[in-house]
Amino acid sequence: MNVPTLFGLCGAVLVGLGLYGLVVSPQPLRKILAFNLVGSGVFLLFGVVARRGAALGMGGDPVPQALVITGIVVAFSATALAVALVLRLHDMTGAATLAPADADEPPVA
Amino acid sequence: MNTTVVLLGATVGLPLAMLLACLWQPLRERMLPWLALGAVPGLFASWFAMRDELIVFGNAQVPLALAIDRPGGVLLGVAALLWIAGGAYAATYLGEKSSRDNFVVCWLMTLAGCLGVFVAADMASFYALLALLSVGTTGLVLSEGTPRAYRAGAIYIGMALFAESLILAGMVLTVVSAPGNSLLISAAPAAIDASPWRIEILVLLIAGFGIKAGLVPLHFWIPLAHGAAPVPASALLSGAVVKAAVIGLIRFMPIESAPWAVGATVAMLGLLGALYAVLVGITQSHPKTVLAYSSVSQMGVIVAIIGMGMAAGDGSARLIAAFYAANHVLAKGALFLAVGVIGLTGARRLPAMLLPAAVIAVGLGGLPLTGGALTKEVAKSLMGDGPAGVLATLSAIGTTVLMLHFVFCVRVTAADDDEARAPAGLVVPWLVTAGASIVIPWALYLTAGGYSLPDALAPKALWSALWPIAVGSLLAFGLVRWGGSLPRLPEGDVVVALDAATRAAGPVSAVFGRLDAVLRRWPAAAMSLLSIALLFGVAIVAGR
Amino acid sequence: MNALPAMLPETTTAGGFLLVLTLILPFVGVLAALTLGGRHARRVAMLAIPLGLVLSLAIVVEAVQTERTLVYLLGGWAPPLGIVLRADGLSAVMLLTTAVILLAVALFAHADFDTPPGTREARRPFMFWTLLLAMWGSLNAVFLAGDLFTLYVALELLGFAGVPLVCLDERAETLQAALRYLLFALLGSVLYMLGAVLLYGAYGTLDIALLAGLVRPEPAAFAAAALMTVGLLAKTALFPLHLWLPPAHAGAPAAASAVLSALAVKGSFFLVIRLWLDVMPGIITPAAGQLLAAFGAAAILVGNVVALRQKRLKMLIAYSTVAQIGYLFLMFPLAAGLSAMQLPNDPAVTGGLLQAVSHATAKAAMFMGAGLIYATLGHDRIADLAGVGRQLPMTLLAFALGGSALVGLPPAGGFLAKWLLLSAALTTGQWWWVVVMVVGGLLTSAYVFIVVMRALVTVDAGNTPKMVVPRHREAVVLALASLSFLLGLAALLPVDIVQIGRPQPFAAGLP
Repeated sequence: MNVPTLFGLCGAVLVGLGLYGLVVSPQPLRKILAFNLVGSGVFLLFGVVARRGAALGMGGDPVPQALVITGIVVAFSATALAVALVLRLHDMTGAATLAPADADEPPVA
Repeated sequence: MNTTVVLLGATVGLPLAMLLACLWQPLRERMLPWLALGAVPGLFASWFAMRDELIVFGNAQVPLALAIDRPGGVLLGVAALLWIAGGAYAATYLGEKSSRDNFVVCWLMTLAGCLGVFVAADMASFYALLALLSVGTTGLVLSEGTPRAYRAGAIYIGMALFAESLILAGMVLTVVSAPGNSLLISAAPAAIDASPWRIEILVLLIAGFGIKAGLVPLHFWIPLAHGAAPVPASALLSGAVVKAAVIGLIRFMPIESAPWAVGATVAMLGLLGALYAVLVGITQSHPKTVLAYSSVSQMGVIVAIIGMGMAAGDGSARLIAAFYAANHVLAKGALFLAVGVIGLTGARRLPAMLLPAAVIAVGLGGLPLTGGALTKEVAKSLMGDGPAGVLATLSAIGTTVLMLHFVFCVRVTAADDDEARAPAGLVVPWLVTAGASIVIPWALYLTAGGYSLPDALAPKALWSALWPIAVGSLLAFGLVRWGGSLPRLPEGDVVVALDAATRAAGPVSAVFGRLDAVLRRWPAAAMSLLSIALLFGVAIVAGR
Repeated sequence: MNALPAMLPETTTAGGFLLVLTLILPFVGVLAALTLGGRHARRVAMLAIPLGLVLSLAIVVEAVQTERTLVYLLGGWAPPLGIVLRADGLSAVMLLTTAVILLAVALFAHADFDTPPGTREARRPFMFWTLLLAMWGSLNAVFLAGDLFTLYVALELLGFAGVPLVCLDERAETLQAALRYLLFALLGSVLYMLGAVLLYGAYGTLDIALLAGLVRPEPAAFAAAALMTVGLLAKTALFPLHLWLPPAHAGAPAAASAVLSALAVKGSFFLVIRLWLDVMPGIITPAAGQLLAAFGAAAILVGNVVALRQKRLKMLIAYSTVAQIGYLFLMFPLAAGLSAMQLPNDPAVTGGLLQAVSHATAKAAMFMGAGLIYATLGHDRIADLAGVGRQLPMTLLAFALGGSALVGLPPAGGFLAKWLLLSAALTTGQWWWVVVMVVGGLLTSAYVFIVVMRALVTVDAGNTPKMVVPRHREAVVLALASLSFLLGLAALLPVDIVQIGRPQPFAAGLP
């Protein structure tokens, strides 16, 4: 097993774990963490893609590096926004859950 | 900028301009007395502009075109006349009612749509005006504001939009098959004939226009709507508005080259429906509902005329159907207006009002020397002596019975006060329409070419018109004598099936609601997301 | 159908600078609003949005005159290394639609999100105007971006601007709705990102025009197509992925709902068009097209029926959006079917985009109208709408016009779209979509009819309005609804703007 395959498999495991968490875990905070897990997996894959370019003798592909950094910034902002919302929700209701919105008739402004 | 352009443009343009003016409240409040004016350009257009000339407003891709052919001109003229009379009638009838602003707006919408479809020469404007017509008509049906009106209005708009969807599908197929994707209606019959989807188009268009015409068994919305609308509105609905379907069939059907089976089926549907409507109509007691059933019956005959024309490949069916329809416009309009007049008339003046109404009513059955007799005489050339001819004669007998039943029904609605008299604002438009319904069929008959006064007055013609009336009168006498035991069918008869379907829709909609609630839970939605990704993967890999 | 016309080497076209201006103007506005503070945010927006409208008009005019795609190479670097902005007919139309709707929303929201002199600077107006500008900028980026990664960033920005708009009122329910929206959108975007990574790994570029020429039917492309499509569907809220839409759109303030429902979901939909028609038409199979439209059909049926069951006006309109999103996806199998028959696919594409524009204008007007009704009555229970026809005649007319546009009555844009889609469906023999469109139209007409009827009932006991709505706010709503209602007259335009710059492998006109 060469290094890119190993990294690729790691990326796949991270994505899989993250997706499982996103589907199953009821708490928003865990969902946010799971999202970050999936994101990390995807970025790892992107790194592998850059590395594969290097294996072809191109001396590494810089574009994915740039894209991954942008992606990390985006994921970080998303996490910050989500955490802010969870905190706010917790302040207001004393609990942070997504459950009541499943009710048949969500309240309307 | 010649007269034709001005008149045709104003036929649609003036009602639309009045409608736009209604956006401004002070004008809207003053519009009621001017309603009659809206139809005047249409009347003139039918006299001066009937020369098969195409007037195009849009661009080459989407030609918004107006034109009048002979069937359209005939129908436009009588419809405009009825709209003028109805407008004058409405001005008095509505008076100071609070609902009159809405009524005025809906009236103008309906007017623009109704006269517009007679002059529209391309499918885009035809469909647009048809939709305007449906929306406006719904407003008129609703204008009494009673629960009965709401029910009738809801069913009306549903059926109208359903019919229009069928028509739209048929028109799109026609355009797709037409050379150069022409939108012109004049190109439609040839395009339908040459289309690979000929049968599909014919079925869609006949079904769509058939519903609009009130073809049994999809007629139930007509008695509901015409019964619920205020008198002047019902007169226009039953007289003029339903004729949009007739002009549609006349213009779109490839009468000369349609398959025999299609024509024969249409004719049978029309004639059997005509008899069915009579049978249900005699169980009704409300005069307007009786008249509405008679409209369903007469529309069945008109559709049957077109069907017989298709079966025989005889293009003269277009003009004959238009003539038959024109007579019905005026006669039925006059009878509806009479309902409002008689309801306000006391015993002393009742005979003077009831007699003309009775003459016109029995005229629909074919009373000699009336328009009804002339139209039936002309239609005989298409109906022949076969089964269609027999059914047509039966329908004439039935119409006589139904119309006499109407006369009995309307007589008991007369005002209790013996001295009561209807205001002149109602009586004059009514009498004008009644007079026109006698005179104009004769004028059309004699100017059409090929028919002359001696033909119409020949003893054989008179006798063949008279005996169904005689039989019908005897039956009507029987109905009065022993008709008390007839079952009372609900207004709109088969609408009970629709009510049952509506009740069944409740649980179905609840199932949809629960499905939605389940799918909106987070785990379900997230799982659907992943499964949809897999599904797309499978569709992309396995689908090639 | 596999490649855009040969555009390489690509250079900046005349008028390309317009694209840059359109892109940066909203973000300059955001920065200015942040710097100047809440008191001036509204002024900044009211200045920037009309300017943006002029810019997008200029782009449309330029595209029509030159009849080709406007291109701008950032820094003169050509792809694959450089980033390129492109505006073809699709983009130009969407840019213009966005600017028009934003102008209407801004005029409407002017009174709601005001900081009167003498009061303390509040967070609500500040956030609203800043986020409105941010959303506008991200939408422009979605419409202009020429590569899949920039599109990813633009979509994320769109989400980040939209989520706080949902919970502007800071009530627990709206916070929850916003959180659901955010998390589900993130799930979608991470899948989209995964697809983009796979494409980059296989072809070494994410530029749309270059990819179109490179993509081959192979596993990496298949996986990328499936992942990116479903990611975008989650952000578009196509049934059954609509869990976040009804509470979010119904809970937001009226002006925000209008933007979210009219425009935000169109961003990711626009990207689906790009992906399916421009990037990988050779990858997508007929089965996938049917599958996508089948979800659309399910959205139409379920969305409309559930809309009929709603008791609140805003919920009804939100579910109507769920249904209308379904209509947007009917275009894909139709376009593919036409192409397979060697016919130009423009009826389907123009029809689909027109449906989007028509829904955007109509729905924005309807949500704003619902906002006025709520402000007047103090509630939006459909059963108790009696008297609205008297109090808010212009709003009710706007609602009816917008409803007719949704139903597809002529001369509304929805009618022209329906005509085009019907003709595409019938030409390609896919009659089942015709049935869906007809049934959907009837269901839509049912709830529009019910609402208008309830509102037309006159009440004898004059109920006192909770708040008197100024006439000009009603006029804005009516103007937008009328625009939607008259959009079908676009058929009279001499050129089909949508088709500018689109690959047209077959001679125009039917054989």
